Amino acid sequence: MNGVADEVLVRRVAGTGDEGALRELYDRYSGLIFGAGVRYLGDRGLAEDLTQDVFTAVWRNADSFDPSRASFATWIYRITRNRATDLIRRRRARVRTVGDEFVPEMGEDDQSGELSRSFDVAAALGKLSPVHREILTLAYFEGLSQREISRATGTPLGTVKSRTTAALKALRESMNASAERWPRDE
Amino acid sequence: MNDLEHRRMRDLLGPYVLGGLDPEEELEITDHLSNCARCRDEEQELRQAHEYMSDLAGVFEAPPPELKSRATRAVRLRGPRWAWLTAAAALVVLIGLAAAYSTGVFDSQEAAAATLKPTQLAPEAGGEIWIKGSGQNVKLRLDAWGLPPCKGDQYYELWFVEGKERLSAGSFTVGPSGKVKVDFTAPALSREYRNVGITSETTPDGPGPSKKKMLGGELNES
Repeated sequence: MNGVADEVLVRRVAGTGDEGALRELYDRYSGLIFGAGVRYLGDRGLAEDLTQDVFTAVWRNADSFDPSRASFATWIYRITRNRATDLIRRRRARVRTVGDEFVPEMGEDDQSGELSRSFDVAAALGKLSPVHREILTLAYFEGLSQREISRATGTPLGTVKSRTTAALKALRESMNASAERWPRDE
Repeated sequence: MNDLEHRRMRDLLGPYVLGGLDPEEELEITDHLSNCARCRDEEQELRQAHEYMSDLAGVFEAPPPELKSRATRAVRLRGPRWAWLTAAAALVVLIGLAAAYSTGVFDSQEAAAATLKPTQLAPEAGGEIWIKGSGQNVKLRLDAWGLPPCKGDQYYELWFVEGKERLSAGSFTVGPSGKVKVDFTAPALSREYRNVGITSETTPDGPGPSKKKMLGGELNES
């Protein structure tokens, strides 16, 4: 299901209860949701609960997703934010004592929109070709240099460099297309 | 600079914004950018994409591998989507039938009853609970009104309360009317509890009640 748009995948979940489509969405967003959970909830166990809660909600509410109103990335970002807020409220005493410091509610300190935009970036990444996605994943998530990517993938260094350029360009174009289709309303 | 050379420069813009070029190549690109407006525009676009990817990578953290199977199993335990929706529809029908079926085992001889009083979360709510039976299980009937209709995954849960002990008697949902009349079966152990409460919950949930208490009352022997 590489390169299949999120909106198509969630339609499959809603229509036939396609677990494979749900797993693909999990692969695309779980790292971001879990990472956001660790950052904002300050607790890895709560971050796991958050990730599980979000995908249960996606499974249950897939048919309420309306692609004419928002992108899937925006929809799942809102689910994540709401679930995180629920978890914080429910276990406020525990969360606020982590590291003896106040842990902000998800979204409260996202004034720049960095977190919500990261969901858009994850969506754009999911739409890239496998070759482009692999190169950006290795460069940004694994922290590999161009030479290391060349060695790891058995691809000539020159090709790695031009593919990196093409992948970043494709990501930007995909984000521009999404922004045109779903202008930010918040 | 010929087209081929210009294209080679353009192909290097990605690793350039990543800081992944050799010093000589980097210098070459820097020089080129000072003379090529088209490549400068493209470099800005790529730099933006690079910043977005960097932000994503800053938040991203791979969850424990077993979480995927746990999350999938949790979904599977809840059944296929259509089964869950059917179950929810069936619950609504059962609640409707319970409401319509106003006579039965609770007509008389209840062992205990409670009048439910509202909290600030549901100031218009109220209700009655009757408990009847002996042996391993007891039967409860709940008649409540004025509860906020359930949204999304929200549901209500009925609890027996004694000191710090809590025992769940069952859960239910409420439609737009805010009214519910529903029967439960609970273990006889629940007779040891002197109070009851109703909380608002969302799924999935921990084993205990949430802090969102909507109704509460004291059980009185009949």
